[in-house]
Amino acid sequence: MTEKFYLKRIFQRYYEENYSKIPMVSFFNKREYGFIPWEEQVMERHLSFENSKNLIDFFKIKAPRHAYSSGSLYSQPEIPDMEGKGYQGCDLLIDIDVDHFYTPCKEEHDIWHCKECDKRGKGMPEKCPKCGNLKLERLSWICEDCLNVAKNEMIKLIYDFLIPDFAINPEDIKIAFSGHRGYHLKIENEKIRSLSSEERREITDYVTGQNISFEILGLREHSNIVYGFFKDNIGWAEKIMNFIVELLKKPNSEINKVLIDNRKFGFKSPTIKSLLNYKDDFLEMLSNNERNMWSIEGFSPNTWKKFLRSIVKEIGVEIDIPVTIDIHRLIRYPGSLHGKTGFKVQEIFLDEFNDFNPLNESKEKLDPIVFLGKKETHKIQIIEHDVPETRIKGKKYGPYKKGDIIEVPHHIAVFLLCREVAKLS
Amino acid sequence: MSNDFDLIRQYPWLPSLKIYRSDLASINPIEFIKDIITDPSKEVLRDRIYEFFKSAFDNLEYFSYYKIDDLNIYFYLSLRMLLIILNNKSISYRVANLYSKITYNELATENDSNLYSICKDLKLDIKYEQEPIIFRKIAIKDQLETLQTKFKIHFSDYLKLSSRLKDDFRKLINNALKDGYVYLRPKNLSRLIQEYVRMKILKFEGDIENINKLKEDLLKVQEFKDLYDSIIADWELKKERFEYSFETAFKKGEDISKNFPPCMNEILVKTEIGQNLQHTERLIIVFFLLALKYPKDFIINIFSKQPDYNENKTTYQVEFAKKKGYVPHACSTIKSLNLCMAQKHNDKLCLDGYFSKKNNKQKKISHPLFYVQFKQYHSAKLKNKDKIQEKND
Repeated sequence: MTEKFYLKRIFQRYYEENYSKIPMVSFFNKREYGFIPWEEQVMERHLSFENSKNLIDFFKIKAPRHAYSSGSLYSQPEIPDMEGKGYQGCDLLIDIDVDHFYTPCKEEHDIWHCKECDKRGKGMPEKCPKCGNLKLERLSWICEDCLNVAKNEMIKLIYDFLIPDFAINPEDIKIAFSGHRGYHLKIENEKIRSLSSEERREITDYVTGQNISFEILGLREHSNIVYGFFKDNIGWAEKIMNFIVELLKKPNSEINKVLIDNRKFGFKSPTIKSLLNYKDDFLEMLSNNERNMWSIEGFSPNTWKKFLRSIVKEIGVEIDIPVTIDIHRLIRYPGSLHGKTGFKVQEIFLDEFNDFNPLNESKEKLDPIVFLGKKETHKIQIIEHDVPETRIKGKKYGPYKKGDIIEVPHHIAVFLLCREVAKLS
Repeated sequence: MSNDFDLIRQYPWLPSLKIYRSDLASINPIEFIKDIITDPSKEVLRDRIYEFFKSAFDNLEYFSYYKIDDLNIYFYLSLRMLLIILNNKSISYRVANLYSKITYNELATENDSNLYSICKDLKLDIKYEQEPIIFRKIAIKDQLETLQTKFKIHFSDYLKLSSRLKDDFRKLINNALKDGYVYLRPKNLSRLIQEYVRMKILKFEGDIENINKLKEDLLKVQEFKDLYDSIIADWELKKERFEYSFETAFKKGEDISKNFPPCMNEILVKTEIGQNLQHTERLIIVFFLLALKYPKDFIINIFSKQPDYNENKTTYQVEFAKKKGYVPHACSTIKSLNLCMAQKHNDKLCLDGYFSKKNNKQKKISHPLFYVQFKQYHSAKLKNKDKIQEKND
């Protein structure tokens, strides 16, 4: 039995036993549906279903590897030509995927291999450190830490941007664990549905901090002196000011750690020392909100701009921009299974989100690990050169080497088979 | 506060025109034109329309004959009707620009109450505070500038009106957004309404067959035909001045890639060394090269070093893009996709822009195609200079 055939069968079993738990998306028959089967890596899209029973039957029979529905509503979603579908608007989709940004844990669990010189290593270098080859084979993995980073980005997006700035009604926000490396957020609101791609780009710029102009926000330079923002300015200037105040209120050791980090501020020690020396005076000036002459020894206008650019990066949210600006994008169907992990695409209410832990979730109704095998184990053989440690449900499995024959619980076997790093033994 | 009909007379593009002048909303276009042509009291209108087109063709930002009188509604409707039957994008852009600029000048002098009524008529989600809200303070030394307003507009309406305006001042991120509303001073709000008016004038409804039939019928009215012909004749005389005379399209045996912006060169270098391109990078380069009329085979060949190259698939995709005639990505899109390479390559034209003699100010390049056009234009100018120099020598 091939691994794909085996996985299809257990996906089928899942859909047969759990069909009642699969939610129906809003405007069900106005959405386009798409699927990737186990047999070939081709997206079958432009499908529509009259009712949820038809979709469930499809899931039970086909048990697709990946299942999607559109963020858009169409009068005729089944028409293959996008112009003929009768576009009626699109929910605002935001995707946060750890694959798109750096997390320290990737130094531990992401593996790369250079085909040119056969060098192997961990982390996410842009090119091979030995031969400079840009084309590296990569095996990216997940852990609680990186999924937490993605969750925190989502929390930042909701509570620092969507609710206070855009006044999005929390009831219009739908969040889902993607079943692999991150989270999706969908805003279902009539006004927002009518936004064009170009208008959505303005929203992505706003939440990521791209194309910000410090000059327009009020930063001025005169005789090599910088005149900064006032804390009661509305919008991004206020966010920046709050960030500076919060940062400077921290102990010196913590400030130093953040400012010296090359992935964040990348400041040299003398610059940091100077900022720390002036910290109290600077904080006082920022709080009294009357003066705005930002004068710290060693801080040129360029240093201030570098400081502000780094702050914008810290405040902004790491989202997958093309997902938001694409009005014909399909996103994973809630309640379906992710073919690269065997985990469920889990919808989460906003008030449950803070405590949600996809790899070790205590509430059964929110648990994406649907193949949890408490007693059932499987023997599988590792086929990838190196497989990083996997920590699911608080238990650690691996790391493994090619050729290892391992006996692991059902959900771990499904996960490793879905990741295509193991075969049935 | 003016009464509502005064507002409609002054701003006939307001949606409630249909309510206040339901007689005009239901009138047959031919009858409407005949009425303008035959009514002696409207004779001045024909001159006003013709002069307006002339001013638009001259790219003027003002119109000396503009008058807010009883004819203003007829003036606006006639302009729109003429634009529909002229069916010429270049003319429409010029007319829409001039008309919307005049509108802006009118709006800029409006009181808050009228401005609020106009926004409500446009069904904008707008709020008016009793006390002004200070949304930004800017200070150098002791000089404090305080930006305040009583107006705030829902961000979705703000985006609908502003996202086509490319300057950084209109970008949402550089504006004061709180609780779903963008704080806007009256002049900035007027600028957004100007854009609404411009877009409304450019919006054509109805299919080409109906337009042709309408044109045929309207041109049977001799005086109207005379007006139409005068406008066309004037346009023919002026248009040469507007259109770029230099060629930007690909020509066999000629390498125009030296005039490509750094974003495109970066993608081409990646293809050259066989580096896997992102999906968006592939689209960007294909749409760009197709717009420059590069041969299909040339474009397909560019992808031949891609690790996942499949000739049939690539051919299909390039042909599909060509058939669809997709518009190449603008600089703002390329920037938001993090594919702008202006900083990386320190490209002066991208970073600093160019000096526009027409506008008498520095302008930014907003589209890769314009980058190519600009460079082509300059190299042609340099060549020309050299030739003159040679002749003189």
